[in-house]
Amino acid sequence: MEIRQPSWPVQALRYGVLIVLAVIFLVPIVFIAFTALKSRSDLLTSPFYALPEKFQWGNFAKAWNQGKMGMYMKNTALISVIKVPLGILVEALAAFALTRLNFKWSNAMFAFFLIGMMIPMQATLVPLNIFLNKTHLVSTYPGIILIYIGFGIPFGILILRGFFRTIPKEIDEAALIDGCGDIGKFFRVILPLSMPAIATLVILDFMATWNEFLLAQIFITKDSMRTITTGLLSFRGEHSTDYTLMNAGVLLSIIPILVVYLLFQKYFVSGLTGSVKG
Amino acid sequence: MKIAPTRFDKGENRMTARALKPWLFLLPALTIYLIVIFVPSLYTFYLSFFKWNGVAADKVFVGLDNYADLILHDSVFARALKNNLLWTAGSLILMIGIGLMLALLLNKRIKGRIVFRGIFYFPYVLSGVIVATSWAWMYNPTQGFVNKLLETIGLESWTRAWLADPETALYAVFIAALWQGVGQPMVLFLAGLQTIPHDPYEAAVLDGAKPYQSFWYITFPLLRETLVIVVATTMIASMKVYDIIYAMTGGGPAESTQVLSSWMYYQTFKFANIGTGSAISFFLVLITMVVIIPYVYYTTKRSHL
Repeated sequence: MEIRQPSWPVQALRYGVLIVLAVIFLVPIVFIAFTALKSRSDLLTSPFYALPEKFQWGNFAKAWNQGKMGMYMKNTALISVIKVPLGILVEALAAFALTRLNFKWSNAMFAFFLIGMMIPMQATLVPLNIFLNKTHLVSTYPGIILIYIGFGIPFGILILRGFFRTIPKEIDEAALIDGCGDIGKFFRVILPLSMPAIATLVILDFMATWNEFLLAQIFITKDSMRTITTGLLSFRGEHSTDYTLMNAGVLLSIIPILVVYLLFQKYFVSGLTGSVKG
Repeated sequence: MKIAPTRFDKGENRMTARALKPWLFLLPALTIYLIVIFVPSLYTFYLSFFKWNGVAADKVFVGLDNYADLILHDSVFARALKNNLLWTAGSLILMIGIGLMLALLLNKRIKGRIVFRGIFYFPYVLSGVIVATSWAWMYNPTQGFVNKLLETIGLESWTRAWLADPETALYAVFIAALWQGVGQPMVLFLAGLQTIPHDPYEAAVLDGAKPYQSFWYITFPLLRETLVIVVATTMIASMKVYDIIYAMTGGGPAESTQVLSSWMYYQTFKFANIGTGSAISFFLVLITMVVIIPYVYYTTKRSHL
C-alpha cells in the first residue's frame, strides 16, 4: 500500500471502475430475481430490465412445493448437518493420533492420507458404485454421507494436523498431571484450543457438501433423496419452458447461501486464504 | 513417563497398549479412507485394462488397448483434452489476471471495500450447478439478458444461440466460470498483498519510481509465494472442471464442450464403457500428479508443512 495520498481523480477513477465491475457482477442475480418475480405474461411483454409489474411471490411457493425445491433443500440440509461434524470428528481423531500420541509412523501415515488429495473423484466412482450396490446403500443417507466423509478426510487431516502442531507440548504435560487420559486430552484440551481451525473447516466443509454435485449425481438415484444440486438440474428439465418458475427455483437455492454468506463473510474469506496458505 | 498408574503398567501390556493407541484413534479415518478413496482408485486402475460393461460377469483383458484407443482413435477425447488445456490457459491468464487486478483495486483503504470484496467473492460460494443454471438463463436465445441487451443497444446481428453453437459454447461457459471464479484468486492475492510492508514503496517513491515500476519490481516479486499457490490450484481445478460444464451444456453441442471429467462420465455411465472411463480417470490422476508433486515439493521446501 502506498503512503502518499492518491489524487482525487485517481480515487474517482478507482471507484468508477469498481462500481462498474460490481454492477456487472450483480447482473446475473438481479436478472434472475426479476424473472422469478414476474408473471409469465409480464415476462413476455415487459422489457428485460424492467421491474416486475406485480411481484409474483407465489412463484416461490410453487417452486418449493410442486417444484420440490423444498424437499431438495431439506435433503441437502440433513446430509450437511450430519456429515460436517462427523467428518471433522473423524479427521480430528486422526490428526490427534498423528501429532500427539508419539506415533512412530506419523509422517508416513500423513503422506498416505495426503495422496488421497491427488486422486480425482472420477477415479473412484465405478468401484464405489459397485460397493454401494452390494451393501444396499445407494440413494441412502448413510451411503452418501460415508462417501462424503471419505473425500473430506485428506484435506481435514491436513488442516487439523497443521493446527494441532502449533499447540505447545507443555499443555499435554499439564493435562497429564491433572490426570487427563488421552480421550480427556482430546476432548477437553486439544479440541477447545483448535476452535479457530475447526470453525474454518466447518464453513469450508459445509459449503463443499452443500454444493457437491458429481457424487450426488451418481449415488443418489431416487428423486425423493435428491440434493439441491441434482434436484435443480431435474427441476430445470421439468420446468424448462416456464422461465419464471425456473428462476424462482434457482433463486430459492441461492437465498440460504446468500444469508449464511452475509452473516459469516469474513470466515469464508479468511478460511479459504488461511487454509490454502497452509 | 506416567505419573498416575493405569492398569496397563503391568508388564508387556504396557508396550502393546501404548503402541496400539494411535491406531485406535486413526481407525475411523483410515477405514473410511481406504474404503472410499484408496482401494477404489486402485480397482479403477485395474479396470482400465479391461473391456467391461459393468454388469456382465466377464471382463475382457485388453492390456493397454483402452489407453491406445483413447489417444489414437477417440476424437472426442482429443477434443476434451484440448478443451481442458484451453480452459487452463484461459484460467491462468484471465481468472488470475482479473483476480489480481481486483485485488490491486481493493488494496487501498477505500470506503465500501468489504462490500466490493463481498460482491466479487460471492459467486464463488455458489455451486457450479447454480452458476450454470443462472448463466444458461442469461444466455437464453430469446429471453436471456445477453441477447436482449444486444438487441436493445442495436447490436442485434451479434445475437446468437450462445450455448447451442459449437463455436461459442465453450467460451460462453468459460465466461460464466470467470464470474464464479475470479473471487478466489482475488482474496488470495489480497491476503498476500496485505503482508507487503510499506517501506519498499516509500523508498521507491523517493527514488522517483512510477507506479508500474513499483508494481513490477516490488509488488510482483513479493507476491510470488501467493502466485505459486494460485497457479497450482487454478491448474488443478481446470483439469478437473466438471459441474459447471455438465450442468450448462452436458458436454455438447456436438461434444464441443466436453472435458476429461465429463467425457469420463459419459463413457462410464452413459455408454457403459467401464474400461475406457477408467482409463480416462487415470489420465486425470496422472495430470493432477504432474502438477501437485512439484507444487508440494516447492511449498514444503519453503515453509514447514
